[in-house]
Amino acid sequence: MRRFERMGVTIVFRKELADHLGSRRYLVLFALILLLSTMSAYQGVLYIRDRPQAGFMAIFWGAQFGFSFTYLMVFFGPIIGLALGFDAVNKERTSGSLSVLLSQPIYRDAVINGKFLAGVTALSILGVSTITIMSSLATTLLGFGPGAEDLLRITLIAALTILYLAFWLGLGLLFSTVTKKTSTSILMSIATWLLCSIMISIIAALVANMIAPIPMPSGPGANMTRLFESPEYRELIQRRFTIQSNIQRISPAYLYNEAVQAIMGRAGGFFFIGPGGGSPFRSLDISQALTMSWPQITAIAVGLVACFAASYILFLRLEIRPGG
Amino acid sequence: MPQPIVETRELTKYYGEVKAVDHLNLTVYEGELFGFLGPNGSGKTTTLLMLMGLTIPTSGTATVAGYDIVKESKEIRRVAGLLPEGAGYYEDLTARQNMDYIGQLNGIPKPEREKRIKELLEAVGLERWADTRVEKFSRGMKQRLGIAEVLIKRPKIAFFDEPTIGLDPQGVKEIRDIILRLNREEGLTVFYSSHLLYEVQQTCRRVGFIRNGRLIATDTIENLSKKVAGAEGKTLEFELTEITPKLVAEIRAIDGVASVEQEGLRLYVYMERDRSREVSETITKHGSVILLMRPREYSLEDIFLKYYEEV
Ligand SMILES: Nc1ncnc2c1ncn2[C@@H]1O[C@H](COP(=O)(O)OP(=O)(O)O)[C@@H](O)[C@H]1O
Ligand SMILES: [Mg+2]
Repeated sequence: MRRFERMGVTIVFRKELADHLGSRRYLVLFALILLLSTMSAYQGVLYIRDRPQAGFMAIFWGAQFGFSFTYLMVFFGPIIGLALGFDAVNKERTSGSLSVLLSQPIYRDAVINGKFLAGVTALSILGVSTITIMSSLATTLLGFGPGAEDLLRITLIAALTILYLAFWLGLGLLFSTVTKKTSTSILMSIATWLLCSIMISIIAALVANMIAPIPMPSGPGANMTRLFESPEYRELIQRRFTIQSNIQRISPAYLYNEAVQAIMGRAGGFFFIGPGGGSPFRSLDISQALTMSWPQITAIAVGLVACFAASYILFLRLEIRPGG
Repeated sequence: MPQPIVETRELTKYYGEVKAVDHLNLTVYEGELFGFLGPNGSGKTTTLLMLMGLTIPTSGTATVAGYDIVKESKEIRRVAGLLPEGAGYYEDLTARQNMDYIGQLNGIPKPEREKRIKELLEAVGLERWADTRVEKFSRGMKQRLGIAEVLIKRPKIAFFDEPTIGLDPQGVKEIRDIILRLNREEGLTVFYSSHLLYEVQQTCRRVGFIRNGRLIATDTIENLSKKVAGAEGKTLEFELTEITPKLVAEIRAIDGVASVEQEGLRLYVYMERDRSREVSETITKHGSVILLMRPREYSLEDIFLKYYEEV
């Protein structure tokens, strides 16, 4: 009987995966990400040609116009994950296919597990193929490929990207389990997306400005340069930055960005200003990078587990009735 | 002696204060077409969900095909099919793909699955639409697909929850014919839940009346009808050429006549014992002519309401 129990999950998984891979929603997002990321890889190639010391990994961050890969994921990641999860349960509840499904000889958790695994697989296909295509394109254009260490970094980035997308899928799944209508869960998803990828940085900046305002030198004799070079000013900027990043760490997108920047070997990237204000490109080796990004990775993983566990428990307790 | 296939013992489900199903004791036998009749909100759906292991009873037990509804619910879903109230399908898949998914979930190997899908789509008259997406289907077609999905597992018993709700008369007839045929020709045990008296009467022989979660009566429609009539005594309806107050008074005076009601030229005579002969003699003696004389018929609605009023 064990075999048959596993079969339930496998069958749900296969159907859901086929649904995803054939769905317009998934294909449109996939095409969009693929298009934007090849464009960003191309810009990365141009960047590397100008500065050969930048290294192969620059294809992921070296885009000067538009989005780099990390930025793409910060911005579109939530919408991709949420899009695959937000109606997974409630759509079947309202349509009445869930009660038909659960009248079959399977355990209830086979349904939620199968749906989640299918979503993760679809997201992995998207993430891995995007990264693979970017790397192969860059290799062709540059005439050289990633070294062994770069390959390891790329693999880590791919794994982290899957984890990150899976988190959003889990959140979408939770939304689809707690709400009865897909119109509600889609609104929750859009609100979350706006909050986590756009609003949070604005909110963080506003709060930082309230807590640590930048003094505006006044009077005819004020010397701007003196102010900017003073240690107090530098300390103030540092404090503002700390406040901002701590607020933004609520958003998994920000955590993901921090972790990926570290894995790419950039201690000071877009969001980092070294304490000494020195070079923003202090490079990290892989173990340093992992140590540094471990808290972020853990936080995303914990978030994923929490979302999935909550949807799982709620789903098992769901009262299956016509019309919800 | 027919074997019981569904047996409930004091089966109870509370939703907070609401007693959706209240100490239900019910037996359904193999091969029968059992009607489960009750107004909306009487607990029919809740009962079916419990029997399929889709919701846990508050107390009491039940078995379906010998399996316990709590401990062995997955086994029940292997041998029992449910067409849920308001059942839905995957709109962007074809009828065949929908059925194939359900067939796979029942562990039916591919060649056998394909064979059954073909047979069943024919049986419910959907063979021409096998490769059409379900989104194009009418309600009646979807409901027939639902029946085919229930049958793909070759169930020992099929539960249908309000299978004709929202269908046009033609659709209702098609569903009813399919269910009757399955029961007669394939010997499928059918548990048919509905709030429509007429429909249950047309389809089922034995009926359980449920109201407010309680089973009020279980019997054949004829017996239920007789019981209501019996409890009421016998009533005769007359149409006469002339009715005088004296005539009415005299009929009333006959031993065994409980009461007489007049409605224009009609008389309704309620008797504790059969006094038809005496009553008609009295009428003739008074010089009135009997144009019509018949026992009062109880319509199904009367029976239905009678049972619901009593408890
Ligand atoms: N999830 C629920 N929560 C609270 N009450 C419910 C729930 N489901 C059903 N009920 C109540 O249980 C009773 C029986 O409902 P149901 O079994 O659907 O009746 P029927 O199928 O005969 O129309 C109704 O009073 C209904 O309001
Ligand atoms: Mg109902």
